[in-house]
Amino acid sequence: MLFDIGRIADTLTTWWWLLLSLIFLFYIGLDGADLGAGIFALFSRDEEERGAIMASMAGMWDGNETWLVVAGGVLFGAFPLVYGSAFNYLMIPLMLALWGVISRAVAFEFHVHATGSKRLWGRAFAFGSFLAPFGAGLALGATLQGFPMKVGPAMAAHAPGLFVNSPVPHYSGNALTFLTPFSFFTGIGAVIAAGLAGGLYLCARFEPGDEINVKAQKWTTLFSYIALAAIVVVVIWSYAIFPWAAAKWTGPHWWIWALWLAVVLFAAFKSMMAHSMQRDFIALLWGEGVVALLWFAMWATMFPYIVPNTWTIAQAANPADSIAVFTLFMTGFVPIMILYNWYQIWVFRGRYTKKASYLAH
Amino acid sequence: MLMENTLPILLSRLDFAWITSMHILWTPLTIGVSWILFGLEVAWLRSGDERWYRLERFFEKIFIVNFGAGVATGVTMEMAFGILYGPFSQAAGPFFGNILGFETITAFMYEAGFIGLMVFGWNKIGKGMHLFSTFNVALASSLSAYWILVANSWMQTPDGVVLKNGIFQVTNWWHAIFNANARWGFPHMWVATMVLGFFVLAAVSSWYILKNRHADLFLKMLKPAVLALLIVTPVQIWLGDSLGVDVAHSEPTSLAAMEGHYHTYLPDGKVNTGWHLIAIPNAKNDGNVFAITIPHVLSLLETHTLNGKVTGMDAFPAKDRPDVWVPFYAFRIMVAIGFFLFFMALWGTALIMRGKFTVSGLRQRPWFLRLMVFSGFLPYLAIWTGWWTREVGRQPWVVYGLMRTYEGTSHMGIGQEVIWFLGYITFELSVWAGAWYFFSKIIRKGPDLHSPLPGAHEEGEAPEAGGGLVTPHFAKPVLRQEP
Repeated sequence: MLFDIGRIADTLTTWWWLLLSLIFLFYIGLDGADLGAGIFALFSRDEEERGAIMASMAGMWDGNETWLVVAGGVLFGAFPLVYGSAFNYLMIPLMLALWGVISRAVAFEFHVHATGSKRLWGRAFAFGSFLAPFGAGLALGATLQGFPMKVGPAMAAHAPGLFVNSPVPHYSGNALTFLTPFSFFTGIGAVIAAGLAGGLYLCARFEPGDEINVKAQKWTTLFSYIALAAIVVVVIWSYAIFPWAAAKWTGPHWWIWALWLAVVLFAAFKSMMAHSMQRDFIALLWGEGVVALLWFAMWATMFPYIVPNTWTIAQAANPADSIAVFTLFMTGFVPIMILYNWYQIWVFRGRYTKKASYLAH
Repeated sequence: MLMENTLPILLSRLDFAWITSMHILWTPLTIGVSWILFGLEVAWLRSGDERWYRLERFFEKIFIVNFGAGVATGVTMEMAFGILYGPFSQAAGPFFGNILGFETITAFMYEAGFIGLMVFGWNKIGKGMHLFSTFNVALASSLSAYWILVANSWMQTPDGVVLKNGIFQVTNWWHAIFNANARWGFPHMWVATMVLGFFVLAAVSSWYILKNRHADLFLKMLKPAVLALLIVTPVQIWLGDSLGVDVAHSEPTSLAAMEGHYHTYLPDGKVNTGWHLIAIPNAKNDGNVFAITIPHVLSLLETHTLNGKVTGMDAFPAKDRPDVWVPFYAFRIMVAIGFFLFFMALWGTALIMRGKFTVSGLRQRPWFLRLMVFSGFLPYLAIWTGWWTREVGRQPWVVYGLMRTYEGTSHMGIGQEVIWFLGYITFELSVWAGAWYFFSKIIRKGPDLHSPLPGAHEEGEAPEAGGGLVTPHFAKPVLRQEP
């Protein structure tokens, strides 16, 4: 049957899974650079430097960051069964990320108006920028591990009195189930990746010869090597502990994965070359390319799961008609969102110097 | 009944009540003030009167601090759904999650996309484009309120769904979106944001006139604000009454709790039409120990007839009744504030009509100004009490009549609950303290009257009305850079 509602729903669900991946990628790609610049600011000695870094992203950081909220909204709108269970599992890592995101947001608002407490808000910005990718990386690593779900009577034995009537599986672990050496390492890995993105961003954002640009050049060179090492470790580690990943990577389509890896290495090489020639914007684009390639590879490896060994895309999705309504009303907005986000970034483009004062806007 | 009132459930409820109450301190002002900012910008562009621009830039600062606090507490709330109410989030996903998804995409992201342009774009985009950005911020924040109210109203009157296989399956989208409660619930909330916005601006203006600082400038703000309130406050009272009638039909237990109305019929068999001014419900929650009662008023209020039947709590089993204390008194405080604010609008208008609305005329009436400053806080209290009435009145259901609150709560130990609760309290209080610190700082500093107007020295580059793309003159192209 061509118009079988079940098949259409499956298609739409997969479509939303792809869009979700894209929206998360926007967040990682855009806000990752902001966060990394914040990590860089963590090591700044004077407040003026932190102020200049904040000023360079003043007009667009909230747009960039909002992709995360959109991702949350899409997850709730299209895959509520994941939304309602993952938060219980990822409570602590997401809380860390949330603290980071919020202290950054509050620091941005308050740094302008503050006089005596400027230093405090500068620190809040920098430390929040470190905490957010660490928490998010922790959550990502924990998600790859999957999490325990129980249903009906089994859940009732775990949590007496509740849930007995519901056939929906609920989270049955405790608050620390997420924490393993692997998830801890992915947390560190996310900080490294953000640090590299932030370095590339700052090189491209500040005038050559400016103090911040000079420092960021060295920072970026160092972080690109650390990041390469971290990628290798994560890939090998994942191969060792996740049978679903190993099976896919060495399965009949192994050559696609090998090719993909070659493309990743090529993009990384181009980014490093462009960076050493101080073609900063090109270096940033190639760097973002590496992120995108790795991100899509990860989602492809997880397919057909949205949470490995826990929720498949189809199990986690809303009923067919909800997905259809969501598609009907919302898909058209995605290009519009991209359009005005792009316009916003375009308006605030251009290179800064450290002297560019935050208050001058 | 027994497992419904366990301590973890109560803690979850209190925690979420705290989170919502603190979030709702920020967002309504953002919504109301964003439209007023748009109005000020239009007034400036049309009249060319610089003072409108100065006022806009000044109130914009208050707006930004509010916006930041609203986003910070709002994102926290988005997470709190998943953390504290995991099973509810899973079950309600097909409708509730969908609507929240709508909200983040059409409203939240929309607003974030334009707010950077509005706040930081004054000298970087043309006047037309800037006006367009301000308008979009206002529109987006109202849209945000719309979707949130649709979702919340659906929890009061869950139309268009069936609970099947543990999740709410939507059978009719139009019924679910335009559910009974949303019809009056959204306008009531939206007008509340306008009442709040105008009163806060009027309070700040009154304070300046009282202190004789920039008195002429702020009189220019106060006068239209008072006139706008003369329209908005009675409309709000009417909307509230309409919502009440609707609640009496669609959510009788909630209305009975709001009115402390236990018995549909009096012992002699007649319809109980008495409206309680004050009441003390008994411990068993099946009658009032003491009440001051006015006959016929309840029927007049809820059915608009003298002897109409209003369903009492005794029509429902004890396990389906909400507690009465909170809805009853919260509701009365809200209504009293509504009428007081209407009175303030009338008083101000009377002063305008008698030609006393000048700086010297107002300074001879310091009590008007003082009460106006005080009235800046009252709408906050009205919004709080209104929201408590709504949320406590719905209990013991999380989705009225379909899903009980305890069924939607995540399973957490008491220790975990307490830690979360303390964490949220600390967080929200620090946001609150920070915001108030900066509000007072902004207000003490006063408006900036001297910085150059945007576009003052670049007449040739002025864009056409309607907003074309303007080349920012500060930027150097990044792509064309050669080593």
